Amino acid sequence: MRSAEEINFAMEAYADMVRRICFVHLKNRDDTEDVFQNVYMKYMLYEGSFESYEHEKAWFAKVTINACTDWLRYFSRRKWVPLEVISEEKEGIDDRSGEILEVVLQLPEKYRNVIYLHYYEGYSAVEIAGILGRKENTIYTWLARAKELLRERLGGEWV
Amino acid sequence: MNPIRDSMKNIRATEELKQNTLQYLYEQEKRDCRTRTRLGVVRRLALAAVSILLLVGIGGYSVYRQPVSYISVDVNPSIELSVNRFGRVVSTEAFNNGGRDIAERVPLRNLPYMQAIGRLLEDESCLGFLREDSILVFTVVSDQAEKMIKELNASELLKSHGALTYTSDASCMHEAHQHQMSFGKYRTYLELLKYDGSVTIDDCHSMTMGEMRDKIDACAHEGEWNTGEEKHNHGKGHECND
Repeated sequence: MRSAEEINFAMEAYADMVRRICFVHLKNRDDTEDVFQNVYMKYMLYEGSFESYEHEKAWFAKVTINACTDWLRYFSRRKWVPLEVISEEKEGIDDRSGEILEVVLQLPEKYRNVIYLHYYEGYSAVEIAGILGRKENTIYTWLARAKELLRERLGGEWV
Repeated sequence: MNPIRDSMKNIRATEELKQNTLQYLYEQEKRDCRTRTRLGVVRRLALAAVSILLLVGIGGYSVYRQPVSYISVDVNPSIELSVNRFGRVVSTEAFNNGGRDIAERVPLRNLPYMQAIGRLLEDESCLGFLREDSILVFTVVSDQAEKMIKELNASELLKSHGALTYTSDASCMHEAHQHQMSFGKYRTYLELLKYDGSVTIDDCHSMTMGEMRDKIDACAHEGEWNTGEEKHNHGKGHECND
């Protein structure tokens, strides 16, 4: 079991990333809080060791994505309405950001993952392949398709 | 420009979410303890210790977050570490662009301060500033300053960078922050001011610690002024507002 010191550190270091991954997958703040707690519970009980800060961070990204997927598959019955999710966050989101996020949240789940990990966390396709347990070529294809969809819906200047 | 990144930058975990999660973990761990009836004494004690630590971490969160000591780390980037009574970094504050880049890149919160300093100095974003002609300065404001300085001076890593260590005080720190400057750099500015009355805060904002130290050394060699300064490692130094 992880020590309080490790948990406190992980809370400060990865909470924002965990929260954002929940944001791109889940339907409201209640779901987010449940999944957020589950992720940290898994961390508290995880007995493996991490080679580095990057290794630990990638573990959090992978576990959060899986936790969100499981949550949507087994527990959630609500309909996915991106605008509702964005409206819950409206204090921190201006109109342009809201427009971009609405398009991002309407992407299929696999594209949302690669877009977030690549554009927000700065992971390469090779690293994303490791996190999602997919082949590199699959990630390159998903990234290309996701970019194409964003370009279609946001116009050519989005990136 | 990265519109995706910009659009999400304000989506963050709130303090409430973090607190609720810590509370949840504590309760789960406590419940887990109750259901285990055949635990060995050592294991029981270990779990009790974790429970107490978690309780302290949650119940005494405000105590935990309260800084009692401050360490200013200055090269050209300037970063201040606020340290709580348990010797852990509870917040960082950067005073220039270089410092902000490093502070954003390297997570230091909740680490013991010596470990945090090690992580800071070994990160490549900081190594870029630690050239041969750079001067690395640590300045401490604390009731435990002497002990902390001793610990800093004993560090092989700091020795390898030829780090200078000084103490300062709360009023100096307060003045420094009014000038948007770290208290370590401000202490050096006050030292330089004693040699060269024409130097201004604005001049120092754009100078590295190495440049300021060179000026001080040059003035000292000219024999314009001499003082019984206190310094804790290499070269000369003194306490602010002494």
